[in-house]
Amino acid sequence: MIPISPPSSDATRLVTPAMLVLWLVLATVPLWIARVGLYPYLGIEILIWSLYALAFNLVLGTAGLPSFGHGAYFGIGAYAFGLCQFNVVANLWVCLAASFAVAGLAGALVALFISHRRGIYYAFMTIAFGQIFWTLAIKSHGITGGEDGLLKIARLPADFGVASFDLNDNVAFYYFVLVLFALAVVAMWRLTHSPYGRVVAAIKQSETRAAHLGYNVWIYKASIFTLSAAISGLAGGLFAMAQLAAFPDVMSLHQSGYVVMMTLVGGGLVSFWGPVVGVFVFLIARDVIGALTNAWMLYFGLLFIAIVLFRPEGIAGAVSAAFQKHSLIRRQGYSAMRLLFGGERWR
Amino acid sequence: MFDLLPHLLNGLTLGLLFALIALGFMLIVGLMEQINLAHGSLFALGAYLAMQLMGSRPPFPAELAKAWLALPLGWRYAATLVIAPAAVGLVGMAIEFCMRRTYGKDPLYGLLLTFGAAMVIEETIRLVWGTRDYVLQVPQAVSGGFLFGDLIWSTYRFYAAGISVAIIGLVWLVIEKTSFGATVKAGAHDSEIVRALGINLTRLRLLVFVLGTVLAAIAGIIVAPIWGIRPHMGVDAVIPAFLVIVLGGVGSFWGAVVAGLLVGLCVGLSGAYASEWSLLSMYILLVAVVTVRARGLWGKKSVLEA
Repeated sequence: MIPISPPSSDATRLVTPAMLVLWLVLATVPLWIARVGLYPYLGIEILIWSLYALAFNLVLGTAGLPSFGHGAYFGIGAYAFGLCQFNVVANLWVCLAASFAVAGLAGALVALFISHRRGIYYAFMTIAFGQIFWTLAIKSHGITGGEDGLLKIARLPADFGVASFDLNDNVAFYYFVLVLFALAVVAMWRLTHSPYGRVVAAIKQSETRAAHLGYNVWIYKASIFTLSAAISGLAGGLFAMAQLAAFPDVMSLHQSGYVVMMTLVGGGLVSFWGPVVGVFVFLIARDVIGALTNAWMLYFGLLFIAIVLFRPEGIAGAVSAAFQKHSLIRRQGYSAMRLLFGGERWR
Repeated sequence: MFDLLPHLLNGLTLGLLFALIALGFMLIVGLMEQINLAHGSLFALGAYLAMQLMGSRPPFPAELAKAWLALPLGWRYAATLVIAPAAVGLVGMAIEFCMRRTYGKDPLYGLLLTFGAAMVIEETIRLVWGTRDYVLQVPQAVSGGFLFGDLIWSTYRFYAAGISVAIIGLVWLVIEKTSFGATVKAGAHDSEIVRALGINLTRLRLLVFVLGTVLAAIAGIIVAPIWGIRPHMGVDAVIPAFLVIVLGGVGSFWGAVVAGLLVGLCVGLSGAYASEWSLLSMYILLVAVVTVRARGLWGKKSVLEA
């Protein structure tokens, strides 16, 4: 098993230095992304998928629950955003809340059926429910538009009462998504480092032991799954805004598999930021390798195999291992110096 | 009542095919406690290779190709049933060589490794054969249809069902009635003791994995004339295979066979009344069963549920 990192001083903070640096870097992205040959829309995609992958990692990384049908909640969020806009009220906040709530509701329903299951049975139940939602989305032509998707979804203006912002421009929308992303990151960071998050992490290590300590394992498993589905739904709602449409393909097994891949390639099992790293690598690899060859999945598949075989803790894990080694060498170097020069005697 | 009979028969033959598709998957899950997500891609690869072998341009040097094409169709078909699975078995061997590194770790890693392998195989298929559909030629003797009652029955479906029964029976005999099967089962149960008895467990596992992939390819060749050959067929096979195993319970041979039949009947019957939704029925069946029974129908305790 992969050891859990010991609690650091960052764990108690609301906003960590890493977050600030990441936000600052992300905030400058629209200024230079076009110059390196990429395009602003990719930035939006990366933020939305990062949010989705972080939400997914609450289940896979924090709780250790293998969920392989998570695309369903992302897709449900996207459809909920569109349907709310068309049939209820065309208000951004109401529609995003609908994405969050409807996906959360679907997650809660599924959690009822799966939370007393483990391992392979848990994994396959999530696949089965994912397939059920996917089939429903494809076959209910009247509601979702079937395979053609739900089209003509508008990017509603962000109305703050005193001021209203138009989000149709990709750069404006990018900053809007960035703000939501930052808020969600803080919320998830606090959640995983709260007493609740610690219990969930304990369940990952041993469900039986957590149960014997008196925790109601079922409630924790069900609630973290529901929450993860709801945040995935929020990401889905943003995705519907980005694409100006909602399509069933994000709900398919393949796309659900991609989010698992992104999370693991990045190192979601050992690091909070792993999923974000994975999304960056995946989407940029898609664009860069995809521009060179149309068989980019072949190369990404090979890369993925190599990572599972040689660096199962992912990129974030490899980097932190390298850092640890570095600091170990420094510390050993220091004690060698002390041995040589007699340490305290010089003071 | 007679209206129902064709649907029942259809469901039963479909169920046998599902059981056949799940067979290789089940061997690897049951005897190695590893989930082979590349099962579907190997299934597809078997079908594509068979199609290439049976087609007008076999992948041989010119001389050999001429001799091959001169053979009667039936002979070629029989040979294809051996050559294509053998080739897929080699691919399986390569996967097992990689997979070795994950033994003893979280079974999640084996699953992810095979997911990556599935991606690579699928993309390779797409590069070599494109995205169009193909048809697998079969000998005259098993194609066509016959009249029974007032209905036309497809001969091939009965042939496929018969082959499925034969292969399932054969695999059962190998696992239950030979010393090879006994050693393999013992290896799954307590690998340390088996090693201590001087048995080469590494080779044994390789054999089991290759056998599982060969069975995937055979299933692909048998099912191809019914489903057609297209890039998506791998996913269409691996999900039912996985479902059948979970429904039947990990580690239970007859559980998987019964689950295959149940799924077939379920899909066949619901297809008769609401064809749009027939694929949903198997998931609902699974959810219904696993909600009540923690380990499927006859599942045993396994590391896969830790």
